[in-house]
Amino acid sequence: MNQSEPELIRQLQRGEQLAFKEVVDLYQDMVYNTIISIVQNEADAEDITQEVFVQVHQSIDSFKGNSKLSTWLYRITIAKALDHEKRKKRKKRLAFVQRLFGEKGEAQYHPIEFNHPGVQLENKEKASELFKVLQQIPENQRIAFTLNKIEGLNNQEIAAIMNISFYAVESLLARAKNNLKKKLTNYYLQQSAK
Amino acid sequence: MKNNENIDGKIEAAFNSIDNIKRATPNTYLLTRINARLGNQAKSFWDNAALFMSRPVVMVLGLCLILTINLTVLLQNKSSAYNTVAERTLNTVAEEDEYITTFATIDNIETP
Repeated sequence: MNQSEPELIRQLQRGEQLAFKEVVDLYQDMVYNTIISIVQNEADAEDITQEVFVQVHQSIDSFKGNSKLSTWLYRITIAKALDHEKRKKRKKRLAFVQRLFGEKGEAQYHPIEFNHPGVQLENKEKASELFKVLQQIPENQRIAFTLNKIEGLNNQEIAAIMNISFYAVESLLARAKNNLKKKLTNYYLQQSAK
Repeated sequence: MKNNENIDGKIEAAFNSIDNIKRATPNTYLLTRINARLGNQAKSFWDNAALFMSRPVVMVLGLCLILTINLTVLLQNKSSAYNTVAERTLNTVAEEDEYITTFATIDNIETP
């Protein structure tokens, strides 16, 4: 970072384009990586990343500096990613209803195998299985797990982002691991039965 | 038993598969696209306004508003026109009274 965070924020609030470019350069990987891990689709992740930075540009005046800029960005990122998930689910339900009533409603959402671009080649298959079951656990557990395992954040940072206590994060992570184990067990049992 | 161990091993492998995960990176032209979006949003104020105005509910409400204003103006004009007629009638009666009075006065003079 060329300058201190408060100075960067002040410049952003003054609408300086160079400061905005610096924020995009600094945080684009963080934002994109978090989003792609939640929505599990590269095109959607690109689109939502753009939305996040547009939101940052528009609402930087409301940023009071009570938390770190990265924490604020993580919050916007997670909110946008979850919004997208909800929209996608709504579309899926609508397509299902349209099919029930005989309209030409083709399913707009086809769950396909997701390969995270940052996973090493030899681990692609296993990681894909993990990402598949990650979609099936409760939202807050999924977010805590993603921030911890994929973004590499510690419990304190996750607590600040999710606005919960340190112990609540610990509990969420433990429950996420348990649920993932159960889901993976079922998945592998089904696979071996085939 | 062996199957369970096998599954446990697979689960362990699945968890370990993301241990050294690297951050995914977005398209190189991300900033250009963000700036384009910001530009489009600034331009689209009038588009949004037009879109808002063209909504059926807004159109019907607008039409009702215009009709109400027209009706109010029309009713106000009608009542003021009625008042003017009433005023004119009163004036005419007063003028006629005056004429009669004047005439009577002249008559009185001529009477011996």
